[in-house]
Amino acid sequence: MGVIITPAMVGQVVISGLLAGALYSMVALGLALIFGVMRVINVAHGTILMLGAYTTFWWFQLLGINPYLSLLVSMPLMFLLGVFLQRSMVHRVVDAPELSSLLLTFGISIALVNVTQYAFSSDVRSVEFLTGSFLVGPLALSKSRLVSFAFAVGLTLFAFWFLQKTKLGKAIRATSQSREVAMVCGVNVQRIHLYAFGMASALAAAGGSLVAVVVAIQPEMGQVYTFKSFLVIVLGGAGNYPGALLGGMLLGLVEQLSSLFLTTQVSEAVAYVLLVLVLLLRPTGLLGGRST
Amino acid sequence: MRTAFRSMTGLATALVVLAGSWAPASAQAPIKIGASLSLTGTYAALGQNQHRGYQLCAKHVNEKGGVLGRKIEFVLYDDQSQPATGVRLYEKLITQDKVDLVMGPYSSAITEAVANVNEKYKMPMVAPMASTTSIFKKGRKFIFMVQSAAEVYLEGLVEMAAKRGLKTIAIINEDTLFPKATVQGTIELAKKNGLQVVFVEAYPKGNTDFSAILTKIRAANPDVLGAATYFDDAVAITRQMKELNVNPKMYGVTVGGDLPTFYQLLGKNAEFVYGATQWEVELPYPGAKEFLQAYSMEFPGRDLSYHSAGGYGGCQVLVEAIKRAGSLDGEKIREAVLKLDINTVYGGFKVDPDGFQISHKMVMFQWQEGKKVIVWPDELAAGKALFPTPPWTRR
Repeated sequence: MGVIITPAMVGQVVISGLLAGALYSMVALGLALIFGVMRVINVAHGTILMLGAYTTFWWFQLLGINPYLSLLVSMPLMFLLGVFLQRSMVHRVVDAPELSSLLLTFGISIALVNVTQYAFSSDVRSVEFLTGSFLVGPLALSKSRLVSFAFAVGLTLFAFWFLQKTKLGKAIRATSQSREVAMVCGVNVQRIHLYAFGMASALAAAGGSLVAVVVAIQPEMGQVYTFKSFLVIVLGGAGNYPGALLGGMLLGLVEQLSSLFLTTQVSEAVAYVLLVLVLLLRPTGLLGGRST
Repeated sequence: MRTAFRSMTGLATALVVLAGSWAPASAQAPIKIGASLSLTGTYAALGQNQHRGYQLCAKHVNEKGGVLGRKIEFVLYDDQSQPATGVRLYEKLITQDKVDLVMGPYSSAITEAVANVNEKYKMPMVAPMASTTSIFKKGRKFIFMVQSAAEVYLEGLVEMAAKRGLKTIAIINEDTLFPKATVQGTIELAKKNGLQVVFVEAYPKGNTDFSAILTKIRAANPDVLGAATYFDDAVAITRQMKELNVNPKMYGVTVGGDLPTFYQLLGKNAEFVYGATQWEVELPYPGAKEFLQAYSMEFPGRDLSYHSAGGYGGCQVLVEAIKRAGSLDGEKIREAVLKLDINTVYGGFKVDPDGFQISHKMVMFQWQEGKKVIVWPDELAAGKALFPTPPWTRR
């Protein structure tokens, strides 16, 4: 009881895959940044994304202003939250065994989700701003997803430019390559950690703000994005920033194409099978770990 | 919450005792009916609605002098939405609290778990909030179903489509027990009504991206799309249908489409969507109007849903069965329930020898101008279906 798959259908899901993939890339870049600089796996990354999504929801609900403008609020807000988390808690586990950072960020995540449930209830909310699509021949291009895509690509390019060209960005990459050498060269590593966590949280927040306009949100939505981001950075090479881009796009495409050719039920499984294959054949990820 | 609840039952007990001292009808001790409900946890909102239904039913029965000359009294505990806790509580109700009879908890999952307990003690249980067929088809003798089965949730959609000469249907579902049963039933119904099933696919629980599945549906181009959903997925599918410009002539969902939040979230995009429901406030069942009035007096400002009416209706069934059995003996009440063919505020009640519901009717509504208008079955319909659903580009 299936359907015959036509090239137009493949085109449609490739577009969907790329649109979703750009968002995955941006969010995962944040996770890669924290891992690259500190060797900390931040399980609360998706939770921060959720807080970004709620920022946009309330912005739109209370002020009624264009939800895309809320990026100007959600990103700085989550940057500050990220800096606060790093300063108050995460810095204590930077050199501890990896399990410590997992436990800590897991705890932070549970606490934030519960506070959100308490404050905003677990009701599903949505930002009904840009619905529908542009019809181009046999293809339907979702308006909200296109805009999200554009923002995600823009912000990701900006983040790369920042890492490549600015002094702070270079210091972040230096710390990521070798903390000791960076320290010897006069980089204030503690400060770099703060910035890295802040930037990563701002990227997650941007992801949340963009997601909020595309799908309905609720306090437990973040977990999925933590898992996906984790998958993306392992695919691309943990701590490798261009790897996160490639991994994100790849995940988006694999999810969509496997949903089309197989079923939506197995698409997640296919993504994880891909992960296992990559780990077996190229244990350092597609682009290799750590090199920046 | 729980302390408030305890003091509430405490108060109720005190009232019953007080009432007992004046009213000759209740010279004897009240009939104790035990139940656990999900007053906290995942199903709390729904369980609390059912709880209010039970409470109001007890009040009304007692105002009319009780049954068998005795008052009825609920002994209620909170199962925290956990099947295992429910099992423990029904054991306690039957062995320690020595209740005379029991009523069902909320949800198929918890009912399935506790059904083994009341079965063991041969104590009849009217289960108002379980619609998974398998619970009632395992040879159990003491459990009775009140609402319609999962399999017939989309009967209205299929029947209306066939009547309007539509030919093809696509069905999608969340990959869990209840929606799967709905799909099986819908396929049967489609065959019976001469609709060709052109596409069937399941998606995992918690799925948020329906692009690929909807792309396939657009290619299959069915006249009708039936989605066996809960709530979040019903919202996401509707939204993404617009994004991908999927335009069936009729589109209906099972669970979730009936909640007011569905329309609040989707706004105008919810227009024309069909939804299935067990009960709606405006249905003209006997006593429904009085029930609504009494409910808003007793619980001002509190939620009213089909769970409230189901709780009330299920309790009506039990009381009627006690009356006809003339005794509290489990076997006699079982026989009385099997013979019942009545209407409650919740609709028709009649079960087959397995205790499986065969009289209660699902209704189908359509969102029209922000209101749920019942459009099926004809004898209960309050309005006409707006057909066909216009394509997204022409709305």
